[in-house]
Amino acid sequence: MKAMTWSDRLWTALFVLLAGFALLLLVAPSLVVIAISFEPRAYISFPPSGFSLKWYQSLLQNRQLTDSIWVSLTISVYVALIGLVLGVPAAFAAVRGTFPGKASLNAFLLSPQMMPGMVIGIASLFFGAYFAFRASNAMLVAALSVFCLPFVIRITMARLAGLDPRLDEASANLGAGKLETFARVTLPQLGPALLAAGAFTFIEAFDNVTVALFTSDVRGRPLPVELYYLVQNDSTPAIAAISAIEIGLSFLVMLVVARTVGLERLGR
Amino acid sequence: MPHIVMESIIKSYGDVRVLDGCSLSVEKGQVMTLLGPSGCGKTTLLRTLAGFVEPDAGRVLVGGIDITALPPNRRSVGYVFQNYALFPHLTVAENVAYGLKVRRRPGPEIKDRVARALDIVSLGPLGDRYPAQLSGGQQQRVAIARVLVLEPDVLLLDEPFNALDAKLRLSMQTELRKLIERLGITSIFVTHDQSEAMMLSDQVAVMRAGTFEQVAPPLAIYDRPANPFVATFIGRANILPVGLRAGAVVDFPAVVAERPDGPADLIVRPENLTLAAGRIDPGTGQSGPPGTVLFAIAQGPTIEYEVDAGFPEPLRVTVNRRSGEVPLAAGSPVSIGVIDPAACRVIERGTP
Repeated sequence: MKAMTWSDRLWTALFVLLAGFALLLLVAPSLVVIAISFEPRAYISFPPSGFSLKWYQSLLQNRQLTDSIWVSLTISVYVALIGLVLGVPAAFAAVRGTFPGKASLNAFLLSPQMMPGMVIGIASLFFGAYFAFRASNAMLVAALSVFCLPFVIRITMARLAGLDPRLDEASANLGAGKLETFARVTLPQLGPALLAAGAFTFIEAFDNVTVALFTSDVRGRPLPVELYYLVQNDSTPAIAAISAIEIGLSFLVMLVVARTVGLERLGR
Repeated sequence: MPHIVMESIIKSYGDVRVLDGCSLSVEKGQVMTLLGPSGCGKTTLLRTLAGFVEPDAGRVLVGGIDITALPPNRRSVGYVFQNYALFPHLTVAENVAYGLKVRRRPGPEIKDRVARALDIVSLGPLGDRYPAQLSGGQQQRVAIARVLVLEPDVLLLDEPFNALDAKLRLSMQTELRKLIERLGITSIFVTHDQSEAMMLSDQVAVMRAGTFEQVAPPLAIYDRPANPFVATFIGRANILPVGLRAGAVVDFPAVVAERPDGPADLIVRPENLTLAAGRIDPGTGQSGPPGTVLFAIAQGPTIEYEVDAGFPEPLRVTVNRRSGEVPLAAGSPVSIGVIDPAACRVIERGTP
């Protein structure tokens, strides 16, 4: 390798500095939140004045919060399942199908991702009102499903497009019917992508505020909305504690996905 | 009764008629090759046999039973894909076991038959590998074992040697031919490689634009091509516009033709022509027209000449080369002769 000149070194140093700064900007808020969650006093301060787990304990006693966590988990599971059930067949049609208007259908299916969540939230609310539905968590599930569908479709499509359609023919030639071919050939190769899609959708549904704010139930609010109202009224380190838990959970899910599927598949 | 019969198969994609009334029959245990340039419909015909393509008209019979309407998974027809289409998430043994598992065979039987099939293609020790860990030749053998293990009535192979390098190709071709002969399984190959067709098959069906130009044993096709297309697709040929008089070709009196006098086309292979330096008296029977050497290349065992003999195109002549022989120089006067007049074909003028 060629020896580095002074200007090369300068550029390298500058690059490392910039990259480090960007990383810091991304990670620091999370770290600050986690640090604050250990604050023993009753108000937010950084750096924390000591170490205490009492805010984590307080979470367990706060019925409203624990309820909302439960609500959010339920909603996320529904959204992930609905997303998979609707998204996988849609991805199949988009990749394997041959019908007029396929390109426009693809664009249509992926369009919710281009729209701000707020728009979908408000639209769902008005749409619901038109049919005399009130904001409810069922509506939230519906709205979030629409919002998250593109994730499932895109991840599944990427994987499907990489599958050789000859494999299906080979399977048929060896005697397997369509269902058996799907179960034995397509699904095993799609599995990791489906896991990734489900996990991604779950996380997105779990921490979505913009859609949830407009459509969620007044009682039994999901966690992000609950937190939103909580910060407005008072700011205890309890909020930091719950955020820290959320950060930990997301990290865990990403870790699982990274280990089983590889994160790079999410981007494609 | 032929084992496989295809009756007037027609298939169109949009306005393009890919198969235009193909009829073909293959005897039991025979190897048939569908040979033709790309886009001639040979793969579509093979896929019709496997049931991947539904013909617009016509019938497919195997063993006298009409299978035209059967879905692919209910035909006893093994198909080896051009890219092999091995299941990447299954090991070699699992790939081979696939069809038996689908048929719900008991475990010990599956194990037994898979082991035997892998032995047949000499892949016994590689059962635990994944397809991605195999070479092209090994993958091909897995693909073959995967269909042979089911003991199908018919074996279909779509350009199975395309993905192999030249050296491996030759040995795999020989191996496969031996295997098919040993198992006595009726097979149909698709290829665009004429030497592969010559080597592997009992019968060759030359296809062009969705129809058969000629169906015959390989040597018969080589010796008696039906038309210029077949003659130039299999081997090389001179297509010469000639005149007929009194049942013989004017320029090559030795070549007789049972056709009325007048214009005709003569198909003669370069190696069926000979050439002598200088001018020989006409009337010796064997003699052809006089000419002038335009170009010559010595290729070791043979010399390739291009000769101007008064035809629109230069005449191509391949002669055996004796040790030390140097080709005649361009411009040398020569006389052309036909070696075997019976191996020439006289056809109607302008036949494509």
